[in-house]
This record gives sequence, structure tokens and C-alpha cells, in this order.
Amino acid sequence: MGLSTKQLEKLLTLPLFKGLTQAEAAAFFEVANASSARSGAVLFKEDADGDSLVIVLSGEVQVTRRGVELARIGANSVLGEMSIVGPGEKRSASATALTDLDLLTVPARRVQELLKANNLAALKVVANVATVLRSRLAMINEKFVDSLGGKGKKREELADFGRILNSWDF
Amino acid sequence: MTSAEAAAWYFKKAARIMDVGERIETLLVTPVREVKVQLSIELDNGEIKTLTGYRVQHDNSRGPMKGGLRYHPSVDADQTLGLAALMTWKTAVVNVPFGGAAGGIAVDPSQLSLKELERLTRKYVDQIHDIIGPTQDILGPDMSTNPQVMAWVMDQYSRYHGHSPAVVTGKPIDLYGSRGRETATAKGLLFVCKELFTDVSTPIKGSRFAIQGFGNVGSHAARLFHEEGALIVAVSDVHGGVKNAAGLDVAGLFDHVRKTGSVKGYGGGTACTTEEVLTADCDVLIPAALGGAIDKHVANEVRARFVLEASNGPITPEADEILEKRGVMVVPDILANAGGVAVSYFEWVQNLQHVTWEEERVAHELQRVMRDAWEKVAHINRSRQLALRTAAYVLAIGRVGKATVLRGI
Repeated sequence: MGLSTKQLEKLLTLPLFKGLTQAEAAAFFEVANASSARSGAVLFKEDADGDSLVIVLSGEVQVTRRGVELARIGANSVLGEMSIVGPGEKRSASATALTDLDLLTVPARRVQELLKANNLAALKVVANVATVLRSRLAMINEKFVDSLGGKGKKREELADFGRILNSWDF
Repeated sequence: MTSAEAAAWYFKKAARIMDVGERIETLLVTPVREVKVQLSIELDNGEIKTLTGYRVQHDNSRGPMKGGLRYHPSVDADQTLGLAALMTWKTAVVNVPFGGAAGGIAVDPSQLSLKELERLTRKYVDQIHDIIGPTQDILGPDMSTNPQVMAWVMDQYSRYHGHSPAVVTGKPIDLYGSRGRETATAKGLLFVCKELFTDVSTPIKGSRFAIQGFGNVGSHAARLFHEEGALIVAVSDVHGGVKNAAGLDVAGLFDHVRKTGSVKGYGGGTACTTEEVLTADCDVLIPAALGGAIDKHVANEVRARFVLEASNGPITPEADEILEKRGVMVVPDILANAGGVAVSYFEWVQNLQHVTWEEERVAHELQRVMRDAWEKVAHINRSRQLALRTAAYVLAIGRVGKATVLRGI
């Protein structure tokens, strides 16, 4: 579909599309479908096949896993990045519209075709996916350590104190 | 700022220099236990009087906690906590295997009869006996408590736990007290001064000393330094002072104090105020009265080259900075007056071993303890270019910290 220059510029500010030129972005979004959803609509369910990348242009979406809310995301956010990394990806969470939504959907199959053809725009997007995932992994690692009661941290702090004391000649 | 608040300030200064971090700082300053107890006693006239007692146990990483028992109207939870922390640092600086504690009763003991004081002391022990003990928390004398009070503490504790002289120090010589306890703080002061003077190649003989405060510590210090050949050029107590640039006749001064109860009016010199003692032309100033005597105004007028802090917190932090800038060397309280707690430790050791040391042995051991402490503090002072006080706090944090790290939390 054809997107306006203004819409493209907006999309280029998202982390996932960082580094793309206007022309590359236009080519990438050529296969995108614009759609809308009513408040309460389920965009996708966890463990369903991840067949598309979804960009929320306006409205608010609730992301849950096993009934637990993981996040609420608003306009100009992206859902389903994992689906474009490779085929056979399952949705890791469910997404439900909290308000009426304007969406842009990019079929994963189409992105994979672009990748096979060494399309620069698609390669850049996948590289950006890696960056996004890396920062999420770091955050999860931190939460994991915290969930262990911070024991690892405490022992390190006491040991640090011991090292400070050893640097003084008492 | 009270002396306890000043101590907390100095602790923080040293902790920041060592860069131990906020959480370690909190770990080090937070007390192990704070207890507040109700003390109701029957007065001689049959009335009931209800008072409040406190015991704060600050740190036990280096051993059983040790601290005084104070009878004073100003006693409260904050003051007691501050004194308990001060004891932690003091016992660490002189490396006796104790932690810090403090306790007291908010009372004016001059308003009580001896019998009432005994009942109050026993009631206090009744209320805290299960958290004190020779391996837990050892009491000792402080403001307005004396060997008799310590004897009552020992007796009352022993009624619950069996014969336990080591639960309290500062007891009468005839009841498991240590020889040399009464002069311990003044002797410790002398030993530290000897080390300092050796380092700066100055003889004590002929040096001029001014002593503010003529209680237990001040008077013994005057006698001991005089015996070493020093000139005591000015002394004062709460009533007034006397000075003599050629040196006071100390024997005559003691006679006068025995007769009148004060140094005021002694004929062997000219009368002066306490402030004149603090700013007297001398080599060494020994503040041995209440805390905070040397504030920023006095600090600018101090003419001594050295100040030995015989009392706790005689110099305000502001004044301390002024003295440091002016090049006056201050031997801090947690080192200078630690002879008292060192001999308390000897008393505890003697009690646990059921032995009695001769006074010479007490003095010899005390000199060793004070010399070791001086050497460590002086080493940090030289190698890190830190004032003696900061160096002493660094040493204290180091020793408490190492014990804490080795034991684990």
C-alpha cells in the first residue's frame, strides 16, 4: 500500500525501522495492509502462528501472557517482531485492543521473501529486531537476578567492602 | 551538636573517604538492638516513681558489647545510641575484643537517696538481665554511676544467672574490680602523649599543659603529667580556674581541692576562667570536661600545639576543621581516652580467669594497647595524609568491617 510521506517519517522514528532511508521504507511497506480494530478485539492469541508484524498507528493495546498483563502499548509501537525472524514462530503473548485501533500489518512471509532476495530494507529491520531483543534480554536477566532475592548482588557488595578494606594498610 | 552526633559526623566523613557505599554505611551504623524499659520503684516516703531506662547494643562483630551505664536527666534513646556507636569505634581503635553498647536511666541521681538508687539499679538489671551478660553485653560506669552501682549490677545479675562478676566492670577493688581502673583513662592519655612526643621529638619534661576539667580524668592527668616533669600551667573545673605560667604546685593544688572541693581560689596562681584555660599559652591542651567546650570561636584562640581529648567530643566538628587548618594536632577521643575501656577489658579478663593482676601489669598492658593503637593511627595519618581523628575512624571502620565481612551477614 502506499503510505504518505508523513506516515513514513513517523514510522522511521521507531527503533525497528531505524536506519532505513525513505525509499527503503517505502519499498518495505509496499506489502503492508492498513486495517482497524474495535475496542475489545483480539488481535492475536498466544501460541498461535506468528504470521505478521503489527504496527499500532493509534489506540492502545494490552499484551498478556497466561492472563498476566505484560504491557500496555500505545500509538507507534510494534507487536510480533519475532514473527519476521523466521517461519514457525508462535505468538509469545496475546494482544487485545483496549480502544479502537488503526493498524498496519506486514505479512511475515513477505518479509522472509525480501530477506531471501537480500533486500537491504528487510536486512536492516532484522538487525534492528536483534537490537530490540538484546535490550529485552538484558532487562529479563536483571529481573531474574532480582527474583533470586538479590543474593548474588549482596554477596558481591560485601566482598567489595572487603576489597576496599584490603586496600588500606591497617 | 552533642558529642554523639559529632562522632556520627566523623564516622560518616571517614566512611566517605573510604568510599564504602551507602548500604555498608547503613549496616555499620544501625544498632543490633535498642531496648527501652519502665522502671517503677518505691521511694523512701512510700511514693511510686516511674522512670525510663535504655540499653542500646550497637555492634557485636568484634565481640561481646561493652558500654557504660549513665544516670542523667538528659538520657534518651538517641543519646544512648550515639554513645553505643562511639564505644564500637573506640573498642576497635584500641583493638580490645568488644563491640559497642550504652545504657542509662533518665534520672537526676542527686534527687534520690542511696537506698532509692540501689532499688532503681536493681530494677534496671531486672528489666534487662536477659540481654546482658559476660559474653553478650558488659556494663561499666559512666556519668553519675560509680563502683557501688556496678557492685549492685553484679549482685542483681548474679541472682538470676549465678556468680557473674564479668557482667560489669568498674567494680570496687574489694569486689572483683581491677587495680588501676580509676587512673586508667588518665594513664592512657599519658601513654598516648608519650608516643606522640616521641614521634615529634619533644620531651614531656618541661612541656606546658593546660587541663580543663578536674574530675577523675583531669585530676589524675595533672598528677601523672606532673610526675613526668611537665608544667601544669592552667586548670579549671565547673567553679572556676587557676593559672601559673611557671607551673602550678600540683601537691598544693590537690590539698586545696581536698579541702574546698574545687580548684577555684587556689593561692598558687592567679584566678582565671575556663575559656582562659582553653586558650592558655601552653604546648598541650587537655579538655577533660563536658563535650563541645571548644567551639569555632575558642578554636581560633587555642594556643596549644597539641590537643589531647580526654573527654568525649570536646571539640565541635567546625572547631576541629579550624584547628586542623591552623596546624594544631588533635589526638581524638576514641584514641586518647580509650585507656578506660582498655582497663575495663583487663578487668573482664581477670574476672573470667579468676585472677588478680598487680597494678604494674595493668599499666604495662595498658601501655602496650595504647602504643599499638597510636602506631596504627599514626601510620594511617602519615601514609594517607589524614588527620589523626579521621585516621582513627578509618582504623575503627576497618577493624569492625573486617570482622563483619569475615563473619558474613
